[in-house]
Order: sequence, then C-alpha cells, then structure tokens
Amino acid sequence: MGGKVTCTLGEVKQRADFIIYWGGNPAECHPRHFSKYTLMQKSKFLPKGRKDRTMVLVDIRETKSVKASDIFLQVRPGKDFELITILRALVKEQQVTDEQIEETGLSREALNDLVSRMKAAKFGCMFFGMGLSMTRGKHMNSAALLTLAAEMNAFTKFVAMPMRGHGNVTGADVIMRWQTGFPFGISFNRGYPRYNPGEFSTIDVLVRGDCDAAFIIGADPGGTMPQPAINHLKRIPTIVLDPHITHTSKLARVHITTAAQGIAAPGTAYRMDEIPMPLKPALKSPYPSDEEVVRRINEAIAKKPFWLPEGSMPQMVTEQV
Amino acid sequence: MGIKLTLIRQPTVPLEAEVLCPDTLADCSADEIAQLTIYHGKRQLPLSDFFEIEGEKSDEIEIHGDLKKVRWIGRGMSRGRLKIQGDVGMHLGAYMRDGLIEVKGDAGDWIGAEMKKGTIRIDGNAGGQIGAAYRGSRRGMRGGLIHVTGSAGLEVGMRMRRGIIVIGGSTRDFTGLQMKGGTILLGEGAEIRTGAWMNRGTIISLKALEVMPTFGIAIRQFTPPFMPLLAKALVSEGITLPENKSFDLYNGDLAVPGRGELLVLSS
Amino acid sequence: MLRITGGKVYDPANKIDGQIKDLNIDADGKFSDGQCDSRTIDATGMIVMPGGVDVHTHVAGGAINFARAMTPEDHRRTQAFIRTKTRRSGLGGMAPTTFATGYLYAGMGWTTVNEAAVPVLSARHTHEELADIPIVDKSTLTLMANNEIMLDQMEAGEYERARDVVAWYIWAAKSYGVKAVNPGGVAAWKWGGDARNLSSPIEGYNKLTPGTIVTQLARICDDLGLPHPMHLHCNDLGAPGNIKTTLDTLKHLEGSRAHIAHSQYHAYGGDGWETICSATAELAEYFNSHPNITTDAGAVIFGDTVTITADGPWQHLLYKLTGRKWGNLDVENETGCGIVPYTYRPSNLVNAVQWACGLELLLLIQSPWQVFLSTDHPNGGCFWRYPEIIKLLMSRDFRDECIKKLPSNIKNKIVLPEIAREYTLMDVATSMSAGPARALGLKQKGNLGTGCDGDVVIYDQEDDPGEMFAHPRYVIKAGEVIIDDGEIREAPDGREYIAKPFYDPATNDFMRPLFEDCYTMQFENYPVEIERVHGASIHDCKNDQDS
Repeated sequence: MGGKVTCTLGEVKQRADFIIYWGGNPAECHPRHFSKYTLMQKSKFLPKGRKDRTMVLVDIRETKSVKASDIFLQVRPGKDFELITILRALVKEQQVTDEQIEETGLSREALNDLVSRMKAAKFGCMFFGMGLSMTRGKHMNSAALLTLAAEMNAFTKFVAMPMRGHGNVTGADVIMRWQTGFPFGISFNRGYPRYNPGEFSTIDVLVRGDCDAAFIIGADPGGTMPQPAINHLKRIPTIVLDPHITHTSKLARVHITTAAQGIAAPGTAYRMDEIPMPLKPALKSPYPSDEEVVRRINEAIAKKPFWLPEGSMPQMVTEQV
Repeated sequence: MGIKLTLIRQPTVPLEAEVLCPDTLADCSADEIAQLTIYHGKRQLPLSDFFEIEGEKSDEIEIHGDLKKVRWIGRGMSRGRLKIQGDVGMHLGAYMRDGLIEVKGDAGDWIGAEMKKGTIRIDGNAGGQIGAAYRGSRRGMRGGLIHVTGSAGLEVGMRMRRGIIVIGGSTRDFTGLQMKGGTILLGEGAEIRTGAWMNRGTIISLKALEVMPTFGIAIRQFTPPFMPLLAKALVSEGITLPENKSFDLYNGDLAVPGRGELLVLSS
Repeated sequence: MLRITGGKVYDPANKIDGQIKDLNIDADGKFSDGQCDSRTIDATGMIVMPGGVDVHTHVAGGAINFARAMTPEDHRRTQAFIRTKTRRSGLGGMAPTTFATGYLYAGMGWTTVNEAAVPVLSARHTHEELADIPIVDKSTLTLMANNEIMLDQMEAGEYERARDVVAWYIWAAKSYGVKAVNPGGVAAWKWGGDARNLSSPIEGYNKLTPGTIVTQLARICDDLGLPHPMHLHCNDLGAPGNIKTTLDTLKHLEGSRAHIAHSQYHAYGGDGWETICSATAELAEYFNSHPNITTDAGAVIFGDTVTITADGPWQHLLYKLTGRKWGNLDVENETGCGIVPYTYRPSNLVNAVQWACGLELLLLIQSPWQVFLSTDHPNGGCFWRYPEIIKLLMSRDFRDECIKKLPSNIKNKIVLPEIAREYTLMDVATSMSAGPARALGLKQKGNLGTGCDGDVVIYDQEDDPGEMFAHPRYVIKAGEVIIDDGEIREAPDGREYIAKPFYDPATNDFMRPLFEDCYTMQFENYPVEIERVHGASIHDCKNDQDS
C-alpha cells in the first residue's frame, strides 16, 4: 500500500535512461536540473548523454520545458490522478476502455507507447512538481505517482522524487522527522509530538483560527496562503524572522531582520533528494542568523516558569480509554 | 438521571476533551467530573472551567453548546449514550467500541475514525475522513454504523474494513478511498474519484456520479439481491431505502486490481 | 566524584565474576584507584556491570529517518516521552526519534552504540542526527562494499589504491570503520539485480566477484589498522539455504579479522520457504574454531517492527511478500537502502525458525566474547526489547514455554529445544558489553578497570531477568548519574568516536576527477568537516599500529 521508492540525484545522472517530469516546469523552475542531473550529463552507463536518455513531460499545458522533452503528453486539467491510476491498471494489463482513456485527454496509442517505454527502460525516474502535488487531490496525486513507481519495479528499476523548492523545505522536513518522527503537521500541546495533516498543518490551523500566535521562519505565507489564513495571521501576534521585507513581515507585529542563509549565514541545506549540503557564506551580515535569534528566544523562555505546572503530566491521546 | 454538560465559554484554541466519554463519566461523582482534565491548547484545565455540570455517575450524557472547537468527544467509548446539541469538533467517536452518539448539529473531520462497533448519528453535515483510517494505519472502521443526514467531506470511509456509512447528502472527493470492505451509501452522490483504489467493499449511490476510468461496467439495470437485506438493517436506524430500484454495477479499482463494487442508480 | 560500594560486580574484561567490589569514578568520569569523597551509591545486594555496548544498530541517518516518516501508525500507539525540565519530547516504538533513542538506550543501561550503516554522501546528516541522540557515546561505520570507485580499483587489481580510497572515505565521512553490505549485490540492485554467488562476477564487472571484495576489504581494514575489523553483512541475506553462501564467505576471510553482522539472517538450511530450517549448528561450529571472527546475533523477537537495510533486493522481495509499504533509497556511487514494515509472528513457520536461529547462535557459539546481543535494530526487533532476549538466554524453562507456542511442524527444523545452556550473569555482561566493546576496539568501554570510562549499570537483583534488565536502578555515564532510582535525571551529550586511517596524500587528486564524474556535489563539499561532529574523539590508527 504505497511507500516511496527513490534515489539520490547522482543515480539519475549516472543511470536514468528514462525520465518523466509530471506537473512541473523544470526549464523555468529548476533551471539546472536538466544540465546537472537528468538530461545532459554523460556517464559510464550512458556514454552518449542526452542521446541515451528519453524524456517525457506530462503537464496540463505547454511550457518552456516541452522543448527539452522527447514526448509531451498533455493531460486534461484535473485528470492527473485518473491518468496515473489508468497507467497503474495498464501496467498490470487490466482492461480499460478507449473512452475511459480519452477522458484524460490522451489516446490509447500514446499510453500504450508510454507503458512499453517504461517497461523497456533500464532505469526510470519520475519527478513530480506542484502541478501534481498542489492541485485537486493533493497528497493522493503524489501518492499515485509514488505507487506507480513502486509497482514498476516488478518490471524494471524505477524511482520517483518530488521536485521541491522554496529554500530549505526538505531540511525542515528531515529534521522534524528525526526529532519528532513526523515531517510536518505536528502538535506538541500534550508535551509530545502528534501528527495529523489537515488538523495540525499550518494552512488548516490558520484557516480555522486554531492558534493564538504565529512564529514564522523562512517562509512568506502572507504571499502564498489563502485569504482566511492571512486574515488570522493579522488577528494574532505574528512574529517573522526574515532577511527581507515580505508580505508576512508587513502584517506581523514583530519582524526581526536576520542574515540570509547561505549568503551571510552558515548552516546545512538539504537538497530535494535529502542530501545535506554545507552552506558557506560569502558575505558578512550585520544581522544575526535565524539560528542565533531562535537560540536567544529559547534562552529567554528558559528563564520563565516551565510550561508544565509542577507535578502534572499530560496524557497521551491513544486508542485506549 | 443522566449527566448534562453545558459549554459556558468559547475555547479560543482547540479544546481536547476525550474525558467526555460515558466510560469515564459513568463512575465519577459530580466533584470528580468537575476535576477531570481537559486540554485548552497546551493548558491542562479542570472540566468545570469550560462546562457547567449537572448529574453524576451515569453513562447517559448530554452535551450542549457550540462545541466546534471541542475535539475527541466519545473517544473509544464502549457503552452508553452521548447526545450532543450543537456543532461538534473533530474526532468525535474515534476508536469507538460500542454505544450510541447522536448529534443535532454539524460535526467535524474524522468522526468514527477506526471505530469497531456502535452507532454515530449526525443530524446535520459532517467533515471529511468519516470512519477512516488515521494516516499510515492499514484499516479504517471495522464495524458499526455512521449516519450523516447532510453532506460530508473528503475521503469518507478511507480504508474502511467493515461496517456501514450512510450519507444523506453528497460527499466530496475520494469517497471510499482504498476501501477494503463494508458499505457506503450515498444519498446524493459524490464529487469525484469515488472508490479510488478500492480493493473490496460496496459503494451505493442513489444519484448518478462520475465513475473513475479504472472501473469496468459489469451489469446495467441490475437489482442487487442484498438490497432488501440492507434496507431491513437500516430501517431500525430510521433510514428508508427506495424500493425496486435498479443500478448499474461497476467493478474496480482495476489499478489495484481490486474487486470492489460501485452501484450507481440507473438513469 | 562518585563511589559505588558493596555491589556484586560482573566485569568480564578483568575476570571479576560476582565478587563484591567498590568502584570509584574520578572528576574526569573515569575509574580510578583513589577514593572519591562526593556521592556514594550503596549497591549492597545489587548487580553491577559495565554499561551496555551495541555493536550493530541503526539509530541515525537517512534510512532510519525514512522509516520514521513511513510509520506514523506506530508512533501513535507507542510510548511517548513527554517533555520535562531535563528531557525533550519524543517517541519510542519501531523507529524511535533521536532524543527518545538516547533515553531508551540509557534507560536499560546501554551507554555506547555503533550506527552500522552510513553512506558517506549523507554522513553529514547522520552526524547531525547523532548529535541529537543524548547520553550514549556513538560510532559509525561507512558503507563501502558497493562503492563503485573502490570496486573499479579492485577490478583493475590496484589493491593499494583501493586501500587508500577506503581510508580516504572513512576520514571524509568522519566514521569509525567499514561496513560491507551484500558485496556487489547492492551495485547490481541498481539495475534491479542481485549478487548471490561469491564466485560469479558481479553485474557490470568482468572479473570482480563478491568473494574478492570480501577478501580484499577485510585485508584493507587490517592493513589500515582500524580499531574495528571489517563489519560484514554477507550476501544472500534471509534466503533459505544461505548457509552455503555464509560459510563460503567465511572461508574468504581466513587469516583476517572480521565481524559478521546479524548472523541469524545468514544461517538457514533448506531450499525454499517450506523447507527452511536452522543451520546454526554448522555456523556456530565455524565460529568455535575461528576465534579471529566475531559476530552479533541479529536475533528476531516476535511482534511489529520495520526492517531497514542497505540490502535493496531483499527489501523488494519482502515488499512483494507482505504487500505492505515499501521505501527504497539508492545512493549514488555508494549504496542503497530499503524499508519495509514487518510483523514477526510465532505462528509463521519461517518467523519461528528465525526466532530460534538467533537464540541458537547466542547459545551454541561457546565464547560470549565472540557472539553479541543484537537484533540488528530495528530489523529483527527493537533494541529496547533486548531484556526479553536476555531472559530467553538465561532461562531454559522460559525458552521451553515460548517454543510451545510455535507451529508443531517446527520440530526437526530447529535445535533450540535440545540446548540446555543458560547464560550466567557473566555471560550476559560479556555479550552485552565487554565483548562488543573489545570487538569495536573501544578499550575504554565495557571495562570497569582503572582509567576506563565510568559507564556503569546497576540492577536490583530480581528473579525475573527480563524485569531486572529492563529496569536498572542506576545508570551512570562517565561518572554522571543518568538514571537514579529508575528515573531519568540527566541527559548530557555523548561523544562520537572517529578513526583516522593513513592514506597517501595524493589520493585527494586521484579522487577528484572520479568524484566529479559520478557525484553531484562539489568535491570540497563532500567530506564532513571535523567541527561538524559533536564531541568528536579521534582514534589515530597509525599510532595504534606502532604501539
């Protein structure tokens, strides 16, 4: 029942002879992806580089990435999940009618060709972008592609990877996992980590007005989140750590200017394949790093009374009464 | 005499109150009930900070007020009756083992999640993930009945294994997602991706709906032999099924490949 | 700083077997001869042992972190650590979070752990995670046996080059030694294949065989003077009849030191899932006549767990067998890993054989200096269940009780019912502490002698060894009382042991073009800077060899 089958980008560079980009526009959003990892590199196993690789692009519209692709499949908007689910069925040689296939905007010939190319690949890799993961169906769209990649391993080697961006989002995810067991959507109100996306994820908490303060680092929700979430941020005390003036810093009660990570502050960033990279700052900044600000806030909090009253211990929420 | 609880002030952040459960309250005196711990955000408070309490030592409980921010009521309950007048928050009757929950008002997400037995009746609308599996769990509800007279949200009955969910109104996307057994009855159909990745189980829609492309039509104008049995089982719950209707039967999801049944009222 | 008086001391390294002896720990946290006049713990009537040492576990890094994300259902039902003034919050269970890992290990008296599988590429991540595991001291092993740059040198017959490459990688990763997983097999998995035969060339190579990799890598570890010998996960893990491969592998190791990881998974007879049976007697016999080789049990405990291993092909098979979730992560040029949740059931014949095999090895290998307590956490079971294994080893009656719950057709497939041996407390102290410490080359660990680290566990003597070992009365780490009357009092940071083997300085220039060819990061960004390792303690291999 799902899971995730993936690899580091060097594996793609060295081995992937078949690449699918789904719901992403790497030519404009990840401009070095083709040249560094997926298409242009030659390797021991793919000595002819681009000529040894096939690239398929699946998207709802033509983007600049089409030019780089060998095959472009234009899926009807909102039909990604259906298309991937059809592919899962076709891979297993289940009967799907022409009409059913055509609902997705693609023909049987195109899908048969895709499936046979996928099975014939020596090393296939699927990258998916926000065109898949943030449109209707969201996590299930991602799950669909990850499941297809896992199931393809009955035939040949196949992996999948999300095309993540926006600063060090992967790093946050990795560290939350080792400290709490969960990547995001975590509540500590009972004194231990609990996870439930939809209940504790940031947008949902803000839209429902479930929090009475907000502390924001390395993000600009004021520019990206739905209006009800932004309205709540305006209502409550919001504190922002950011090198720049942002939509969020404008609505915040407190904005602490910090040094830009990687430019003026050191640290570690995690690449989309979860490989850690050291950040070596080139410039000096008069501002403190995010880390230093958080550490000093922590020290100040430590001087206050402990959040748990003496002698009390919260209960876990479990199946047991 | 039962216990009556009335919300006396609105929580400003979610109020987690799994102690509002017949199993817990049935053995408590009025003073003990007042001292039960609830969680207003990270603060542990006595129940009496938020509720006026009448009665004691009973598994017949009534709760009044706008409980939209109150979560986990009836968690794991195994007996008795919970009557709720007003809207209620997430996780109502999650992990329920038996007994009855009745709500006059709307309910939030995750009602009856992973329940085993018992009945939940919502006279109003409900959120998503009704009778579902919590994230990562292999199975959702394993028995019992959930009846929502109004509409419901996403992923209703996700990974359910057994039991019945009846939604009087319509549901949103992914109804019966990865279903493994049991029955979902939809009075007013559903939005999209109904029965996606289902393995087994039955989804019945009394209104036309969009069928996933990975479902194959098995029979048109079909009268399922089990319908009278289902109708009989639901009568005692005050649900009447239309008689002598014929359905189009689809099988799927072929992607799994699964042997679930999707019955859509023939047009 | 601390004085422990009146306890019955079990200190195998100094041949102290239950004698009453006082211990003193000085201000540097080391055992000393002088009397210390601060706190005294009266351990009269209690059992005193050196703190436990886990020779093979998976507690930090990309793979276990992947497993954490994959198992939210386990996190919900598991023991939570609620935040207190001295303790951060976390979750126990199949793949515990970092803080919880430290509390759980220390909570049962273990004070040193060896993270047995680190790809160099993500070593930086592993060290960051280890820094978040409190209390225990740590070491790491670098995954080498499928490293393509090294394999290419071996294929070309360039032994010395291969040795320099290994040394370069160990220092780049700031690790402590070499782990070899399924030599050649993970490299083949990258094309969906496997390597199950020691003498056939591996996929993608003309003459290089798994056997050659095993022999040469063991020799390299010896030649480099690494404190811990090659740590080998043999080919053909988990497959019925794999005893042939295992014994064949061992023959490739004649004359070298080596540590065979989780040998339970490599000790099966039969030729299919129906005929699988224990072949531990054969394997134990080999160990009994070859004291140069150590092993850890990789015992299986019934219940839920999550399996994670660099053995990608095995994990794909397990995913197909269980139909549950599957995670896989291939790491460029170096290795891969697979993650599959799994439940070991006593009613399942194969699981029952596995359960028996682990215990059989622990009991049939005569010297506890050669076979160590492990479950290959989390693969065979979670480390916090070690006390259950100790109970099984110490009580034949308890074993017999458990054997009754196995399927009846298990007869003739296992030898456990015939084994009378019961572990003594001295055996336990050797297998859980002194033995693994010695195998790891950690001379200051697993030893209550003067100058060694003041890591001690003190138990109330109880009839049920399972209870006794699960709940120590006191745990002392470097002289600091961590568990006091059964409660966690302090959670100091531990240190990390790193080996610095010698390599030809020209190796850097040799590596650079090869590196740029197959990696996707800057050569300069690849080695972990020593400042990034918290509490680093460097073991200089050259000096060690000279002395």
